Amino acid sequence: METAALIVILVIVLALFFDFTNGFHDTANAMATPIATGALKPKVAVLLAAGLNLVGAFLSTEVSKTISHGIIREDQISPPEFLPLIFAGLIGAITWNMLTWLLGLPSSSSHALFGGLIGATLVGVGALAIDFGIVLSKVVLPALVAPFTAGVIAFATTKVAYAITRRYDGKPDGRDGFRWGQIFSSSLVALAHGTNDAQKTMGVITLALIMAGWQSSEQADPHIWVIFACAFTIALGTYMGGWRIIRTLGKGLTDVKPAQGFSAEASTASTILASSVFGFALSTTQVASGSVIGSGLGRRGSKVRWRTVGRIGVGWLLTLPAAGAVGAFAALIVAWLGTWGILIDTVLSVLVVVGLFLRSRRNRVDSANAMSEVAASGRAVKVKKNPPPTRRQREIMREEARAKRAAEKQAKHDAEKAKQAAKKAKHEAEKAQKDAKKSKPGAGKSAKKSGDGKGKKGKSKKKNKGSSAGKDAR
Amino acid sequence: MTIEIDWFAFFEVFLAALVGAVLVVGFYALALRMLVRAGRAPVVAPAEFTDAITVVTEKQRAKAAKAAAKAAKKSPLTDGQKRLALAAAFASFGLCGLAVLASILIIVLH
Repeated sequence: METAALIVILVIVLALFFDFTNGFHDTANAMATPIATGALKPKVAVLLAAGLNLVGAFLSTEVSKTISHGIIREDQISPPEFLPLIFAGLIGAITWNMLTWLLGLPSSSSHALFGGLIGATLVGVGALAIDFGIVLSKVVLPALVAPFTAGVIAFATTKVAYAITRRYDGKPDGRDGFRWGQIFSSSLVALAHGTNDAQKTMGVITLALIMAGWQSSEQADPHIWVIFACAFTIALGTYMGGWRIIRTLGKGLTDVKPAQGFSAEASTASTILASSVFGFALSTTQVASGSVIGSGLGRRGSKVRWRTVGRIGVGWLLTLPAAGAVGAFAALIVAWLGTWGILIDTVLSVLVVVGLFLRSRRNRVDSANAMSEVAASGRAVKVKKNPPPTRRQREIMREEARAKRAAEKQAKHDAEKAKQAAKKAKHEAEKAQKDAKKSKPGAGKSAKKSGDGKGKKGKSKKKNKGSSAGKDAR
Repeated sequence: MTIEIDWFAFFEVFLAALVGAVLVVGFYALALRMLVRAGRAPVVAPAEFTDAITVVTEKQRAKAAKAAAKAAKKSPLTDGQKRLALAAAFASFGLCGLAVLASILIIVLH
């Protein structure tokens, strides 16, 4: 009984720590893009996310009946066997969460928990206790589908946002206003996250209490202290802010602009909400990452850093086996050494967590430098070239160039015509003079004199013109 | 081992999310467009300048605000048309707000 009590207490402590890691691991899902676009200051963003996660945890108290969603056949495992499995599974999930946080990789906390539980169950009970069909349909397939779905939606919404606000006359397009929208869309994601993920930990603790006989299985609702503890822990974790992951999602995948950020957040929120309504559970992290990639592809001139996408993809692939391996190792120690095994597991997991934390201090990433290594110095210099013109803009440019050429041609033609008209007029005037001479032979001399005078005047005018042209040239 | 993949649920999620997101983003973008038409182009300075922002200096922000004011003065619309555009902008913002409220309702109910 004492051992069971020890395990329950350790499970509660570990579950709360997992909740904490879940919080700071997933802050980026909601707040990476508003921080990147400057819609919210980093500290304000994490405070807002923490508050909404806290509220979200209280909005719904419908705890999932099975913490593993049917992946593990819980009815085939006895309570004394199940508590160490949850304990070992939590160690696997926490270790993977800490490692991916250190590497700045957004990975699913739920998948890490499932992985840890699967690994521990394989060692503690056997393969028969795991429904691999459900592993495929509820973990592997959604992991493939979630980023793709969110990416396509974010791509479409980004295109829509830019198409509606595009102006061809170069005047202000009002796209800065998307910063206001980002505050609301990211808040919605934070709220949805609080509702989903805090529930998960409440479920783990409630299950541990039921297994230990500290709570009636007929009343499966979580105790009020469990709700408060989970809500505050996830909020605290969110407030700590996983700055490394915020950096990856905010500027590691693509350079996010306000319209892209708003589209990505709207896509994330709508996908999460739709998945929770229609019962097709998708990972918030994978949805958020897919949305950022989709919005990066949706803006003309924007680049997606596929190398980072590849690293994140590898992280997702490894989540289940890696967390499973750690969970299996922890369960193996418990299976060999019993109560001592639990203590050794605890000590080892504390060492690993502290070790990873100390390693992270070597190159510290926090609110000050998560997004602004250059801007923090007060000299932000990153000004990008405009994206290449659209098809319609190219058409407009061609049309303008054509009109300009036509106007120039017309002007040249008009000048030529005027010159010819002047020449013709001169010619006619000379002809008229000659005719006048022929008709009045006596007046010929005087006309010649006056003609000479004109000639002199013309010469002097020419001289003056020449001197003024010289001045212009100088 | 039983593999039951609910493809229809997946399709429903995709369609509902796509329609929801396109409506929200579309109405919001339309509202911004209408604000611009009404001569009130929003110039929202970043709360904090980060490396990911293209327009980075305060001077550029002031310049953008000046350009927006100048463009608003040159608007070819009559006062009535501007008022109509402003009303349309607020209506679009309202629809977006309703969508957000509906989302919160969904969160509470599920």
